[in-house]
Amino acid sequence: MNGRPLSPRRLWWLAVGFTIWCVALVILYALHAIGCAFGWSTGPLRVSLAIVLLLHLAAIGWLWRYRAAARRDPGPEHISAFMHTVVIWTLIAALAATVITFGPALLLTTCL
Amino acid sequence: MSVPVEPPSQGMNALRLHRQLAAIWATGPGVQRLAAVNHTVLGMRMMITSFLFFAIGGILGMLTRVQLASPHAAFMDAETYNQVFTMHGSMMLFLFAIPMVESFAVYITPKILGTRDFAFPRLTAYGYWCYLFGGTILTVALIMRVAPDGGWFMYTPLSSNVYTPGINADVWLLGVTFVEISALSLAMEITVSILKMRAPGMSLDRMPIFAWYILVTAMMMIVAFPPLILGSILLEVERAFDLPFFDPRRGGDPLLWQHLFWLFGHPDVYIIFLPMAGVLSTIIPVFARRPLVGYRVIVCAIIALAFLSFGIWVHHMFTVGIPHLALAFFSAGSAIVAVPTAIQFFAWLATLSHGRPRWDVPMLYIFGFFFVFTAGGLTGVMLAMVPFDWQAHDTYFVVAHMHYVVAGALAFPMLAAFYYWLPLLTGRTAVHRLSLPAFWLVFIGFNMTFFMMHLTGLLGMPRRVFTYRGDEGWNWLNLLSSVGGFVMTIGFALVAIDIIVQLRFGRRVRRNPWDSTTLEWAMQIPPAPYAFASLPRVGEETDGVAPGKLAVSLARGEGYLGFTRNGWQEALGVHMTSGEPEQLIVLPNATYLPLFTALVTGSAVIAMLFKFYLLALALACVTFGMFIFAGQSAGLSRDYGPLPVGRGISVPPHTEVANAPSWLALVCTLVANGTLFTSLIFGTFYLWIAAPNWPAAVTPEPSRLLALVTIAGLAVAAAAARGSLRSTTAGGKPYGWLGLTVLGLLVALAADVSLIGGVTPNPREHALGATAAALLTYVALHAGIGLLFLVSNFLRFGAGFISPRRLTDLRLSRLWIDYTVVTGIIALGLVLALPGLVAMLGARP
Repeated sequence: MNGRPLSPRRLWWLAVGFTIWCVALVILYALHAIGCAFGWSTGPLRVSLAIVLLLHLAAIGWLWRYRAAARRDPGPEHISAFMHTVVIWTLIAALAATVITFGPALLLTTCL
Repeated sequence: MSVPVEPPSQGMNALRLHRQLAAIWATGPGVQRLAAVNHTVLGMRMMITSFLFFAIGGILGMLTRVQLASPHAAFMDAETYNQVFTMHGSMMLFLFAIPMVESFAVYITPKILGTRDFAFPRLTAYGYWCYLFGGTILTVALIMRVAPDGGWFMYTPLSSNVYTPGINADVWLLGVTFVEISALSLAMEITVSILKMRAPGMSLDRMPIFAWYILVTAMMMIVAFPPLILGSILLEVERAFDLPFFDPRRGGDPLLWQHLFWLFGHPDVYIIFLPMAGVLSTIIPVFARRPLVGYRVIVCAIIALAFLSFGIWVHHMFTVGIPHLALAFFSAGSAIVAVPTAIQFFAWLATLSHGRPRWDVPMLYIFGFFFVFTAGGLTGVMLAMVPFDWQAHDTYFVVAHMHYVVAGALAFPMLAAFYYWLPLLTGRTAVHRLSLPAFWLVFIGFNMTFFMMHLTGLLGMPRRVFTYRGDEGWNWLNLLSSVGGFVMTIGFALVAIDIIVQLRFGRRVRRNPWDSTTLEWAMQIPPAPYAFASLPRVGEETDGVAPGKLAVSLARGEGYLGFTRNGWQEALGVHMTSGEPEQLIVLPNATYLPLFTALVTGSAVIAMLFKFYLLALALACVTFGMFIFAGQSAGLSRDYGPLPVGRGISVPPHTEVANAPSWLALVCTLVANGTLFTSLIFGTFYLWIAAPNWPAAVTPEPSRLLALVTIAGLAVAAAAARGSLRSTTAGGKPYGWLGLTVLGLLVALAADVSLIGGVTPNPREHALGATAAALLTYVALHAGIGLLFLVSNFLRFGAGFISPRRLTDLRLSRLWIDYTVVTGIIALGLVLALPGLVAMLGARP
């Protein structure tokens, strides 16, 4: 052992990136359904969806930058290096998944 | 079971310790076996039970193949065929696949983590009995010819009262929900145990990769099962009490069922696949004779897979009429889910290519898995593309894909795991003369059966038809499929014979026959009931030490807890990330209580099935009462302070720490519960936005006063729960505060029940009223369960189980009531908002 153990609360970081992906999915799906049900015109609906997507991308991107700047987690070397790597890569994977899953779809006809 | 191959013979200390520990941990003979709570015993029983259901499900599958082998077959009529294929799917998914992977987890996980048992052995036993009784209800229904007949996914409106008026659908809804309670309780047990009960020093980065897979799978189960449990409850309530959640004539929507079902159904595929991938990640490095390539990348891939699998449920619903843009979200998600799966594949291949692979029976099955799952994965990517899915939907192509990814991903790694761990279970090795032909029969038969289905599907053969004309060009393909099915069955029969022969005549093996590096081999084989005579220390000092060498030291009691004390079943609780010891966990001894509680729960289910609703309610109350009774003897009735656990370390018992396993278990319970609640909120909004015949003729008019009284009562209860905690911490008696908490909950309950009584429109007339009633009932149920928590607090404080140092009970009550307040505010807020939401619908074009 060297130093205080890594707090169990830090484990939530493992889920943060993809939780944001899930939140983006739920909000985009719901907003799209509401927009179509209430007959929103194509332009505003597409823009609203794009704004929601960009906000989520920004959130994951900011978290990635924040974690990368920290260089490593507090606590013993082995576990903190492990956590740092896994968290960074899950954030990168979540960012890529968000772009691929939701980006191109926004170019399609909105309520067909 | 055979006798231990290597009884501890390292000297009198080891033998004496073995006898002392066995006297405490062993399950008694004869009828006392029914009181077993030990994970080794229960894991084995669950495995055997799941294989019995596999055999029944397999026979049903064969019956469908006999029927479809030729056109115009008179083997079965349509009604019987419907029951047979529905039960084949339901049994294989709910009674075999999920319980089988759980049985592996139950048997292996504590051993691979270097601990003696799970955190809640009585819950393991309760989970097993619920599974057995739920499966038995379904099987008896099959024998009585009243089995479910609406397909394994029970789509509404086919499964509604109008089109399935008998008890067939009720059998599925109640039986499967009963089994799911079991799966959910085991998932919580597994999550808590992996996070809190590892060998000292086993930090998360040193955890065997198998445990990462099982941990993520258990967490997925906690989140995936509640939507289906909610869907089953709502459909059963519709069938029993005519509340029209899924009836489009009265504001319901059949598609809501599909959403709730597939919110469970798609992650379920990965819930089955991930533990088997864990098996592969464990076995491949052993046979490649080198460490697994990409441990950290695999952990990332598992996490990604877990989340992505939840976000693609709609790909089962591509044809229901969802706008293209939304379909594209799910289509893209379904395609990229292949990426984390491929990462694992390449890690396995890299491990093999960089190692010095040797061939044995488990490796044959791993080869089979690679072949089958790759094929299934590729057809999965094809089906993820919306235009292709529209062509192939509801054809045998989907049946083929499903069997390749679910059956293939399960069966081949499962058999690899069996042959790998059987020496641990039995102390003997396989008879190769049978294992090899068995593999080839299973492999050839499997591909012959299911590959043909791709072709029949592409030729247009729809699923679930009981016969066909004969001029469609499907005849010879169906015949080949049926022949393949029989070849595969003969293969599985040979596997079964091989295992029986191995049990009786297999060659006895030395400890750790595969030269593995994981801890389950650092024990006597077959394992003793206490698993480890003393617990190993994991760290740099033990890196590279062979399990066989470690086993000798542990058997001598040279690790942690290498002694007995007070007749307690002792294990160590560790810090979640570092794995350093922080508490002594005293586990409960064998008891019949789980069996009796499951019997009463099962009786409630049967009473519900036969529409004795008051009796069912009474039995449900008895079940809750038995949980409280079980809680009365949990923990320790006095303060002990730090106790020595070996190697110069002392830690307090779990009753005297803030982060006891029960705290984490309640957090897991609330996560599952929160998912169910979120699904209910989703259902309400879904009906609002998508269901036909909204708004209702009658406008909802919920009483704001009663809603405010309900929230005020809950808030008072939450504040009083804090008071009871403060009072006890200060050394006082919390009876006054507990009484105030009860009063707050009773007021909230009474106001909430009044609200339910006044719901408009009438819950039987429109889904608007039905959803409002469901939301309010959720709040009432939680306030009621809060009262049970408080009854337990009263009793346990009186019996001396609560003290200023032993506060877990009061903390658990506070957490439950806090959750009730938060969900209560949301639920009541939504009910109050319903008139406004309904008014908004008037603005629709």
